[in-house]
Amino acid sequence: MATKYGGYMGRVCMVDLSTGKVCDYPWSDEERRLFIGGKTMAAKILGDNITKDTKPLSEENMLVITTGPFTGTGTPSSSRFNISTLSPQTGIITSSNCGGNFGYYLKKAGFDALIIKGKAKAPLWLEIHNNSFKFHDARELWGMNTGKTQEVLDEVIKTGNGKTRKNGKIVIGPAGENMVRYASIVSNERLAGRGGTGAVMGYKNLKAVTVSGNHEIQVHDRKKLDKLNKSWFKYLKSHPLTGDQLPRLGTAGLVSTMQMRGQLSTKNYNYGQYDDFEKVNGELLAEEFNIVNKGCLSCPIKCARTVEVNGKAVKGPELETLGLLGGGILNSDMYSILKWNYELDELGMDSISAASTLAYAMEANEKGLWDNGLAFGQTDEISQVFDDIAHRRGIGDELANGSKWLSEKYGGKEFAIHSKGLELAAYEPRRSVGLGLGYAVSNRGGCHLNGGYMVLLEGLSLNVDQQNPHGKPDFTVMFQDLMEAVSSCGQCLFTTYAFFPAPLISHPNSWYTKAFCKSVPYLGPVLRMLNTFPQVACIHIPVLFNQSIALHHITGMPVTFGSFFKAGKRGYTLERHINTRFGISRKDDSLPSRLTDEPQIKGDEKTKVPLEPMKSVYYAARGWTSDGIPKPKTLRKLNLDGLASYEDTCKRFAEEKEGE
Amino acid sequence: MVTIKLFGSLRLKSGCKGLEADVSTVKEACQALADSTNLQMKELKNCVVMINGRQSRFSSKIEDGSEVVFLAPAGGG
Repeated sequence: MATKYGGYMGRVCMVDLSTGKVCDYPWSDEERRLFIGGKTMAAKILGDNITKDTKPLSEENMLVITTGPFTGTGTPSSSRFNISTLSPQTGIITSSNCGGNFGYYLKKAGFDALIIKGKAKAPLWLEIHNNSFKFHDARELWGMNTGKTQEVLDEVIKTGNGKTRKNGKIVIGPAGENMVRYASIVSNERLAGRGGTGAVMGYKNLKAVTVSGNHEIQVHDRKKLDKLNKSWFKYLKSHPLTGDQLPRLGTAGLVSTMQMRGQLSTKNYNYGQYDDFEKVNGELLAEEFNIVNKGCLSCPIKCARTVEVNGKAVKGPELETLGLLGGGILNSDMYSILKWNYELDELGMDSISAASTLAYAMEANEKGLWDNGLAFGQTDEISQVFDDIAHRRGIGDELANGSKWLSEKYGGKEFAIHSKGLELAAYEPRRSVGLGLGYAVSNRGGCHLNGGYMVLLEGLSLNVDQQNPHGKPDFTVMFQDLMEAVSSCGQCLFTTYAFFPAPLISHPNSWYTKAFCKSVPYLGPVLRMLNTFPQVACIHIPVLFNQSIALHHITGMPVTFGSFFKAGKRGYTLERHINTRFGISRKDDSLPSRLTDEPQIKGDEKTKVPLEPMKSVYYAARGWTSDGIPKPKTLRKLNLDGLASYEDTCKRFAEEKEGE
Repeated sequence: MVTIKLFGSLRLKSGCKGLEADVSTVKEACQALADSTNLQMKELKNCVVMINGRQSRFSSKIEDGSEVVFLAPAGGG
């Protein structure tokens, strides 16, 4: 192995589709220690190779597919892999995380990451088995939906005795082929949904990648890891969020709570409550439509639903899809959402951006800005509209560019619900102002998870004052960084919900829960210390936050909670640092004026997002300038000051080649 | 008469979407639920209770015609 650390395969391979060449990409143990894996590793690779002039749809742009050291080690919920690239939707770096088994099989093939650059002359698909790379003609697959494509690939990948070889796949559908800006990459039933990774793959004429192999994934201390995992599985299963709510209801279970808290986006974020929410909530999904719960490899949570559409068992919708294709467009027919969710997966398209773009178009039509025939509550033709988007036919060709592009053409920027070009998820931030900040500053654009997911405290699990901005920026920084680190390990972010002690969640009326919720606005300065000097936390937090312990057992690296937290901070700052190359600064950390200037409840000025003051506190907490640019001192503290320029990386490649 | 509604895992555990009851406090609403479902008082005391959209206490009074919602804490999306 080319690494002294466990959990890694020690190799990163790079495929150039323009030349057909495959080579090892240099990745050192020092980089493993600093950037762990997943989205942080991908950011470093992208940062070293793209310049401010790189265009998302170009041969120079790269798809960087990374695993983490946890992937395939049996650690709870650790089958995630990440795809980062320069997004055709936002023009900046995007990272899209996906469950399923591709990450596991990529490691079985012997690689921690796969980098794809260049552009094939004609459609092809790539088969990777151990050290063998085969390019196959994909012209017969071109135009096929994602499900059928995967079925055909399984027929092709056979072992000597005629059985399908165990493998992981990523594929695109018609949306990716036609470079819909929010096209996704699909793996089994799972999607690297956000940011248009599918369009980049489509531009490169790459229909699919399959990975398989028989390499062993070794860890530093298997005995200690197994012991930790055993208690970790038990804890996750006993926690009210990861052991009860998510398994019972999936993410769809949030619809009712969001409705009660005024956080359910309705009619393109005009309102925060939907009168017909009981026709499209998680309870109804569980009682009348769910066939069975499904989970990724080694996951005790099993948050995915399986439903029946046209007589076929398919993946059910997540909360974001239910919210945006339900109340978001004033639709109260649950079955239609199940059907559209399946169709969007088959076409290979992000349901959040597709739904939000649709809602923008409906409102633009209602306001007389764009005569497109779409109207709230009229849902008969939606399947056809999605198909038209994926094939760029008729109005679908324009809808395929997303709400930002449309609002620049037709007007209505105040109700094009995106940040940096990425549409917001279904949470209405005017009743969760911390999440409002998160949406605005998030590195990949309007993302609830990359934004720190403050809504968990602001009404979903806890009852922190939804409208009070105090303390929220420091909490946002902490959660963003912790989630960044967890994601870099290849673990699902849902495990972080167990960070909150079970009694705090299961006893919302207790004195201690109330005291915690009341204290949040005053905890900012305390957290600021931790955010500024994470390394002082040279401890572990067993049970609540096992990740840093697991990282040590898996890799053998010296890790503490503080160094783990700092790694997340490094990753988050690195992504921002790269984005500043593309001109990103304070002005881009924005929300549509509907959310910042118009109160959700008429006459109650508190029910809007006080974004600018929160941003100032946030930048200070991050060590960025008041314009949102990471300061040199901050970069130095995070070991990011010596980042390679594009020229340095080219030189490094030349040296590697000479050494071969 | 008061409309009581259950959401989240409480509803799935009990199989009860809600009921109409003649109650005047949250405590009485809990008792009405405990009497007609398999839910325990202890469980109901540990719920988020909202009267006409406002979070309330166990001792809160309920006016006639109100809607009382019992929610289990939720998280993750």
